[in-house]
Amino acid sequence: MTPLPTRSRLAKTFRAWLSRLLSPTVKPLALPLLFATFQKVLASNNRALEGITDMGEKLSGDYIFDINYITTAYTALAADFQNSIVQFKTLSSGRYPIAEPFATIHALILDMIQGQEGRATDLLLSLEEMTWDRAREVGGKNYNLAELKNGLGLPVPDGFALTGRAFSEFIRHNDLSAALLRLQEGSASEAEILALRQRILAGVFPPELDQQVTAALDRLRRHGVKAQLAVRSSADEEDGYYSFAGQFESVLNVPLQTHELRKAYCRVVASLFSPGAMAYQRQLGYHVGGLRMAVGCLLMVDAVASGVIYTADPARGDKGVVVINAAWGLGPSVVDGLTDTDLHVVQKGEPPQVVETKVGRKESMTVPAASGETRQEPTPEASRNLPCLSPDAVIALARQSMGIEAYFKGPQDIEWAMRADGKIIFLQARALKVAVDLPPAAGEKGPDRSVVVPVEAINQSPIISNQGIAVQTGVAAGKAFILKSLAELDKFPLGAVLVAQNDSPQFIRVMPYAAAIITGSGGLASHMASVCREFKIPTLVNCGEALNLLRHGQEISLNIDASGNSAIYDGRIAGLLAQHHKHGMAMEELYEFRRQKYLLRYIAPLNLVNPLEDEFTPGKCRTLHDVLRFIHEKSMQTIIEASSSGIGGLTALRKLELPVPAGLQVLDLGGGLMPGVSSTVSEKEIRSLPLRAIIEGLTTPGAWHLGAISLEVGDLVGSMMRIGELTAEGAKMEARNLAVIATEYVNFAMRFGFHFNLVDSYCSDRAANNYVYFRFVGGAADMTKRSRRIALIDRVLKESGFLSKTTGDLIIARLSHISRDEVLAALRMAGRLIAFMRQLDAVLRDDEQIEVYARRFLDGNYEL
Amino acid sequence: MTTNPTIMVIDDEKIVGDMAKLSLEQEGYEVETFLDGESALKRLAEKKFNVVITDFKMKGVDGLEVLRTTKRLYPETVVIMITAFANLDVAIEALRDDVFDFFPKPVKIKELKQSIRKALGR
Repeated sequence: MTPLPTRSRLAKTFRAWLSRLLSPTVKPLALPLLFATFQKVLASNNRALEGITDMGEKLSGDYIFDINYITTAYTALAADFQNSIVQFKTLSSGRYPIAEPFATIHALILDMIQGQEGRATDLLLSLEEMTWDRAREVGGKNYNLAELKNGLGLPVPDGFALTGRAFSEFIRHNDLSAALLRLQEGSASEAEILALRQRILAGVFPPELDQQVTAALDRLRRHGVKAQLAVRSSADEEDGYYSFAGQFESVLNVPLQTHELRKAYCRVVASLFSPGAMAYQRQLGYHVGGLRMAVGCLLMVDAVASGVIYTADPARGDKGVVVINAAWGLGPSVVDGLTDTDLHVVQKGEPPQVVETKVGRKESMTVPAASGETRQEPTPEASRNLPCLSPDAVIALARQSMGIEAYFKGPQDIEWAMRADGKIIFLQARALKVAVDLPPAAGEKGPDRSVVVPVEAINQSPIISNQGIAVQTGVAAGKAFILKSLAELDKFPLGAVLVAQNDSPQFIRVMPYAAAIITGSGGLASHMASVCREFKIPTLVNCGEALNLLRHGQEISLNIDASGNSAIYDGRIAGLLAQHHKHGMAMEELYEFRRQKYLLRYIAPLNLVNPLEDEFTPGKCRTLHDVLRFIHEKSMQTIIEASSSGIGGLTALRKLELPVPAGLQVLDLGGGLMPGVSSTVSEKEIRSLPLRAIIEGLTTPGAWHLGAISLEVGDLVGSMMRIGELTAEGAKMEARNLAVIATEYVNFAMRFGFHFNLVDSYCSDRAANNYVYFRFVGGAADMTKRSRRIALIDRVLKESGFLSKTTGDLIIARLSHISRDEVLAALRMAGRLIAFMRQLDAVLRDDEQIEVYARRFLDGNYEL
Repeated sequence: MTTNPTIMVIDDEKIVGDMAKLSLEQEGYEVETFLDGESALKRLAEKKFNVVITDFKMKGVDGLEVLRTTKRLYPETVVIMITAFANLDVAIEALRDDVFDFFPKPVKIKELKQSIRKALGR
């Protein structure tokens, strides 16, 4: 057995390969050789695509894999890509810089496989600089905010991030590495952890970071001398699967001064090692002491109101609604569950419709305090019962949130703030955990994510029923533990039900042991609520009755069903608990699994979707799949151009005899004609499947009109005015009624009068290789009529599944990844269309005719 | 009251044990995982398992040794071997030594579960 390459050898081989590839461009190839290269590109592309698919399958959660598999599979995949890129460089004469994006993605993937920190050297990045390949360096929260700004153009606060690299430098500069290592090994005592936090709080910036921070703060001063920052964690969570909601400290109202920012930074970093945050990290399988923390420094928004939006109902799993929470003042009122907020439920759709509005009492609000902190103060009487958002603002917010959800491809948890002028600023967007996921499709056995027992099915009267707000569905039983102060959390017994007046992110410390949580206040949008959903702990909030009616130590059962009905019973309800079985934990909840699966994000998704868009460039490739797509598309384009122009040996040209006067010549690259044919070939002697299909279409009875259609005066003037350009072009195109063929390939270029038509197709038994490319340009009639003909072609091609783009009298359309039979059907259609359209422009006298003739054509009626 | 069947999983990579534990616990099995053969054998001396799933290639005590010891202590315990290398010789040697089933990695969880069900006669 060949030994597996070591990782360092792998990286070295890759560097050598890359330097060879970046050497000067190669000379263009002669056509037959070009075609052979094209086929090699297709073959290695296929292997690479199979590799991507295989890794996707093996990392789907249906297989148990080890790291050796990842290394081996990725080594093979990278080799296929390198091969593809080398062949593609030869094919395209080095015209496209695809090796560079591949190298960037490859490096990101290798870093992950090898568990390295990442190569970025930046200590500080502005929001604009946070591109996709830097997501790991700035953490999920910062990156998502940058995407809101850069990708969606939404208003977000100006600011910058101190990267994961800055964190590592900070740790080194302050001599904290050894302490972190002890923590990672699990050998640090409580006292050592406390000392570590103290040392972090007293930390200083390394000189380079200090300079960069000072410069960045100078730039932010353009927003005014009173501008202040919110300094927040954005931990280097690779996957963003968990929210870290409320686990780390945020420092608000930080003045634009380096020493102030440093103090805030130290506080945020120290919060990584608070008891609650450490419990959370352990619970999720992270190595405490191993997590790096990027920090976001964003301008404070002078908010009159703020809130949280969920683009699905997180408790009931309804993905058809947007839930908007709002309160006066700064965000903590909502996210810390400090006041009774406004609630708006909006049904998605166009237009979105408000289906529920509840104006909260909003007795208190969070306001900036003189000390640079925030504090709660009573809301002015007059504002309390007024909704923070107007009906129009609710709809506008719902629309924007739906846009954010579509952009990130999943339900979102969004934080926003409203300025005095009514402008909404987005502060954060992250994936929302939805408690009850939609039931699995028929025949597919998904894990049982929630125990759902309808409340009415239980034949016993509850102590409390349908009080409060359901945060997480489920069934639980245990002794009630009535919490009087946070300090008592340390005494929380395993398997008890936590009952508390207010909710707190501190509860995370006991979540691994809690059967359920009930609180007297709070709402759906608090940090604690997010974490309860993550851990699937049955949770009921805003249920004041519980504190009045339940006794400390009382055995109780709790049921929250999928409709949001809830019931609390005295004692253990056997009938209820019999149906309670261990929650199916998803594979995604295993940290190591997520970490490995995260690789796929740089491999499998396809972002380069439409090759006809301007965005279709090497620079837009974010995944290996994108690289492959780009290579495939441009290989095709190269072969089309070469077949259409660079004909070498004209002696190989043969005349094709057809029942219609097409004046067609063929050039066989191999296997396209019967062996030993003479200089004139008949239809029967064609072996090229795609050419045969086009000919079949072209010669369909009735499709080819032999009579001339008279042109009108305007048409003649039009063509006379274009005569210069047409003759010049005409001379160049003289020999263009030409088909370059192979057994599975055709490049069919035809010129009829003043228009030029090209069909290029590859047609094999592998759908992944197959495509039909169709281009049509020009005509003799005036521009309006020519454009009508283009509209008709567009209509017909779209009906046949083509993706198309038109500009004036030019249309380019393509169809790919289809079976051989589908290609042949499309080519027969294309042949008929070529025949039918030749003089069609002259009869398209008004726009209505477009539909008339398109319909006729599609119905097989070729009358003009 | 019947107790759930017990399964021991041994692999020197944590992710393998974690994934196996998670998927098998969903079937109602009680699963214990070990990162090396030594600690697994120590546990086997104290407790009988219905099924032992072991990696073949491990440093120190390898899969074959685990197999032999298991069979010596508990002839009726079913042993399932998994390995990164789909090497037929190993498979044949192992099968001769009374391995119930043999899976190359990555292991399809559905097939592993089927094999266990079959082994336990359920």
